[in-house]
Amino acid sequence: MNVDGYVTLGVDREYDLTEADLLRAMDSAQVDSAVIAPVDRCLAVHNREGNDLILRAAAAHPTRFIPSCSVNPWYGRSAVQEIERSRSEGARILVLHPFVQGFQANDELVWPLLDSIAQQPMPVYVHTGTPGNATPWQIVDLAERYPSVDFIMGHCGATDFWNDVIPAARCVRNVHLESSLARPFLFVAYVEELGADRGIMGSCAPLDDLAFEWEQMRRVLPAEQWPGVYGGNLCRLLEKGSAP
Amino acid sequence: MIIDCHTHWGMCWADRDGDDPSRWLAALDAYGIDRAFLMGHAGMVHQDRSKADNDTVARIAAKTGGRLIPIASAWPQMGRAGVDEVRRCVEHLGMKGLKLHPWLQGFSTADPVLGDMCGLAGELNVPVFFHDGTPCYSLSEQIAGLARRFPSTTFVLGHAGLLWNWRSALEACRQPNVWICLCGPHRRAMETLCDRADPDRIVWGTDYGFGFADSIRYRLGLIRSARIAEAVREKVLGVNALRLLRQ
Repeated sequence: MNVDGYVTLGVDREYDLTEADLLRAMDSAQVDSAVIAPVDRCLAVHNREGNDLILRAAAAHPTRFIPSCSVNPWYGRSAVQEIERSRSEGARILVLHPFVQGFQANDELVWPLLDSIAQQPMPVYVHTGTPGNATPWQIVDLAERYPSVDFIMGHCGATDFWNDVIPAARCVRNVHLESSLARPFLFVAYVEELGADRGIMGSCAPLDDLAFEWEQMRRVLPAEQWPGVYGGNLCRLLEKGSAP
Repeated sequence: MIIDCHTHWGMCWADRDGDDPSRWLAALDAYGIDRAFLMGHAGMVHQDRSKADNDTVARIAAKTGGRLIPIASAWPQMGRAGVDEVRRCVEHLGMKGLKLHPWLQGFSTADPVLGDMCGLAGELNVPVFFHDGTPCYSLSEQIAGLARRFPSTTFVLGHAGLLWNWRSALEACRQPNVWICLCGPHRRAMETLCDRADPDRIVWGTDYGFGFADSIRYRLGLIRSARIAEAVREKVLGVNALRLLRQ
């Protein structure tokens, strides 16, 4: 079971990934399913439009696409309501992008969202790597405040915060590392150091090419780590969210 | 012709291989890379090793028959001695450019001694490579600010803004004396930069040598798989680097 931990579906600005193109890329890379997320514009402002597009795509391809949802925490109570609506319609991961959405990852602005997630768990994917508002240690702050919530550190703080990834992730168990943009030749060292149960393969297609990223990762990740990193770890987090 | 415009003689390489580049060159051979701009490492993190590291890089490059192109580094914090070191490296060691890393080295692009170095590089006709894409001292727009102040000097953004600052790198390219090195952005950003920046001022690099990790396979694969015109790819992978070297 190969699962891509992060793909952006949609056509907008530098994104140009249609459902058909994504399915073709997944087939060529022998990827069974993929987490799909909305384009930046929908992460930032048009949350419901983006979530609906993702939910519709996942409904059309339930075995191939794992729907995420995203809300901008600046929308306050209506953001929490949008999480609950999206979850009730099938969303399985919450995506936060502090850089695009304009907040600091550990800002109290995000707490109401996480309060909601803590009531009914689902993994929270946070894009990281931008200085000041999306760093590995800010994810640790969130993980300490919400120990029952599983956080996915998107991009492992790439590029500038590669030094912080291992010490930060060692401090908390509820943070997993997602590989996209972090480059396979560096990501393997994180997994080696922290354990294969902490890594999640993602391509960040179409910003990077799905098939290329999987091919490169397969060249460098030891085969014994494939089951966890290529889907097992993410599925474990998703199953927690779907438990009654 | 493939020229890697961003590599380092890493400290771990120096510890293991001394001044012997044979294993390092074997990595280039494995990927069909003809030449590489070789920068130091120890001299960019230890001010007191700056001169020795420049000597080392020049010595290693001299063993390779021109295949490795030596790039110097210097520290504005050293004042006049730092500026003199730039001159020594270019005029006496035959080094072909200057590499500065304000983030690692801890100086501002507003430092007046840095200004002296940039001015001298222009006089000596060698490009100045910068780490870029990182606040608070190494943003692409800060390097573009230097380019405005020193229009006779060629500046190379060593990472084209990395992952999150590449739009600033694209803006920086409006300055005619700013070049970018595709070594850090994701594939889509590389495609956009190749499409919208001047294709005659784009080069490619891997950052190979900072550690033992093989960054060449990935980064060469990335540029080869990018959806850019073949004519542009040819320029980026080698033709432009030769022009940069001749400037």
